[in-house]
Amino acid sequence: MTFLLAAIIVAITLGVTFWASKRNTSAGDFYVAGGRISATQNGIAIAGDYMSAASFLGITGLIALNGYDGFMYSVGWFIAYLTVLFIVAEPLRNLGKYTLADMLVYRLKDPRVRTYAALSTIVISTFYMIAQVVGAGSLISLLSGGAIRADLAIPLVGVLMIIYVVVGGMLATTWVQIIKALLLMFATIVMTLLILSRFGWSFSNLLGQAEAKNGAEFLGAGLKYKNPVDLISLCLALVLGTAGLPHILVRFFTVPTAQDARKSVVWAMVLIGAFYVMTAFMGNAANVLLGKDAIEAANKAGNMAAPLLAQALFGGAGTVGGEFGLAFVTAVAFATILAVVAGLTISASTSFTHDIYNGVLKGGQASEKDQFRVARMATVAVGIVAILLGLAAKTQNVAFLVALAFAIAASANLPVILFTLFWRRFNATGAIWGIVGGILFTLLLIALSPNIMKIDPADLTTGRHLIQANPIFPFENPGLFSIPAGFLFAYLGTMLGARRRDAAEDARHFEDMQFRAYTGAGAEGTVAAHD
Amino acid sequence: MTVSSAPPIPRNAAYQQLVAQRNAFTITMTVTFLVLYFLLPVLAGYNKPLMAQKVLGNVTFGYILAFLEFVMGWVMAYLYIVKARTFDRLAAEARA
Repeated sequence: MTFLLAAIIVAITLGVTFWASKRNTSAGDFYVAGGRISATQNGIAIAGDYMSAASFLGITGLIALNGYDGFMYSVGWFIAYLTVLFIVAEPLRNLGKYTLADMLVYRLKDPRVRTYAALSTIVISTFYMIAQVVGAGSLISLLSGGAIRADLAIPLVGVLMIIYVVVGGMLATTWVQIIKALLLMFATIVMTLLILSRFGWSFSNLLGQAEAKNGAEFLGAGLKYKNPVDLISLCLALVLGTAGLPHILVRFFTVPTAQDARKSVVWAMVLIGAFYVMTAFMGNAANVLLGKDAIEAANKAGNMAAPLLAQALFGGAGTVGGEFGLAFVTAVAFATILAVVAGLTISASTSFTHDIYNGVLKGGQASEKDQFRVARMATVAVGIVAILLGLAAKTQNVAFLVALAFAIAASANLPVILFTLFWRRFNATGAIWGIVGGILFTLLLIALSPNIMKIDPADLTTGRHLIQANPIFPFENPGLFSIPAGFLFAYLGTMLGARRRDAAEDARHFEDMQFRAYTGAGAEGTVAAHD
Repeated sequence: MTVSSAPPIPRNAAYQQLVAQRNAFTITMTVTFLVLYFLLPVLAGYNKPLMAQKVLGNVTFGYILAFLEFVMGWVMAYLYIVKARTFDRLAAEARA
C-alpha cells in the first residue's frame, strides 16, 4: 500500500517533470522558470520548499516526546518569515536576477563578492543537503519497515532529484514543491480534524489527557531545553537564518515583480503558520493515543509519531483504514524529502553555474546555451556528491546540520544583506570579511560544541559524534555568538577596506541601489522575456 | 567596474517620502516582532512556573503565548500588505 502510494507520487511528479521539460530550454528557464511563476504558486512552493521532513516527522515527534518544548521550534520557524517579508524579499527581487550574489554585486560593484557569495550558498546548501539525504536514508528505511535500506534509499532519492532538476529545471522543482505542500496540508488538516473530533473539539481536553499520562511538566517548558542560553541562541538562528537560506531566497527570483515576491511570502505564511499550529495538536495527540513508549520503540527520535498517529486515527493497526492512513502519511513524508532535496540541488547548481562558471570564470560572457548545458552538468555533479556524502555520513549524528545551516545563513549572509541594503559606507571588503568570517567562526564554534565533541558509549552504532572528547564550547547552538561576530567581521572589513578615493563612489552605488530596491525602477527587465 | 552607466537619479518628493516611511515602518515592525518573539524563549528559559500556569482550562500560558505569536505574525503580515499599497503608490510616483 505504501509503495503503491509512493509510486503514484513519483509517477505524478515525473509526469510533471516531463511536461516542464518542454518549457525548460534556456538558462533563465532552468534557474528561475523564466520568472513566470505566479505569486500564489510561488507562495505554496515556498511552503513546500521550507517544510522538510524534519518539520513534519521531526516536530510531531519532538512534541510527542517532549511536550511544549517541541512546539517552540514551530513558532520560530514561522516567525522567521516576518524577517523575510519586511527586509529581504522585495529588495532581493528588485536587485537580483538569479542569485543572492547578483544583489550584492549590483550594490558593491566588485566581482570578487560574487565568488564568496556563491561559496556561502554552496556551503549552506551542502550542509542542509547532507542532513536531508542522511535523514532520507534513515526515514525511508524506517517508513518502509526496513525493506529499503539506507544505502539503497539515499541513491534512490538522489537519482530522482537529479531527474527532476536536470529534465524539468526550476519549473519542475516548483511544481514538485507545490504538489508536496498541498499533500502535506491535506494530510495535516485531515489528521487535525480527526484529533479534534476525538477530543470533543477541545484543545484543553487534549492537554488534560496528555497531562494525566505524562505529568504536569509535559505542558510546561523545560523538558528538552535545560539551558536557557542555548534555547535563545537556537531561536535567534531560526528567526534570522531563514532570510539568508539560499534555497528560499532563489524562490523570489521566480516571480515577475517585487509585489509578487511580497504576496508570495504572505501566501507562504498562511500555509506555514497553519501547518505549525497543527503540530501542537498532532504532537500531543500522538503522545496520548500511542504513548511515549510505543513511539520511542518505533524510533528513538520520535520520527514515526506522525505515521503511527495517522494509523491510529484511521482505525488502528490491522484495519484497512489504519493501513491506508499510515501509507498515505508515509508517502507524503517521502514526497516531502524529494521536494526539499530538489530545491537544495537547484539552488546549489544555479549558484555554481551563474555565479562561479559564468560570473567568475567566463566574465559573464557565457552563452545561454553554454550556461544551460553547464547547469545540468552541475546538477548531476551536485546530486552525485550529495549521494556520496549521504552514504559516508549515514551512521553519523547529522541532525545538527540543519541548525548549522541556519546558523551560517544568519551569521554569514544576513549581516551582509542588511549592510548592503542599509549601510551607505559598506564596501566589498566588508562583504567578503563578513561572509568568510561568519562561515569560519560558526564552523569553529560548532566543531568545538557538543554536536561534534562528545563521548559516546562504545556500543553506539548510529549517530556517533566525530570527536570523542569533551566539548570546549558548551552550547549546541552558536547563533547568539556567531551572529554578532558576523556583523563585527563585516564592519571591520568595511573600515579596513575603506579608501577615501572610493568613498564617494561607494555612496553613489548605494544611492543607485536604494532607488532600484525601493521603487523597482529598472528591475522589470531583469528577467529575459522568453517567447 | 567603477563606471556606472546609469543616469543621475531624479530625487522627487515622493521618493524621499517612500524611503523615510519605508525605513520607519521596517524598523518599527522588526524591533516589535523580535521583542515579542523573544518573550517566548526568555520566559521558557527563566520563568517556567509562569509558562506552566493554566489559563483556559488545561491550556497553559505557554501555549497561549505561542498561539498568540502566530496571530501576531499574521496580523503583522496583514498590516504590511495594507501599508505596502502606500509604498507602491509612492514608488510609482518616484519612478515617474
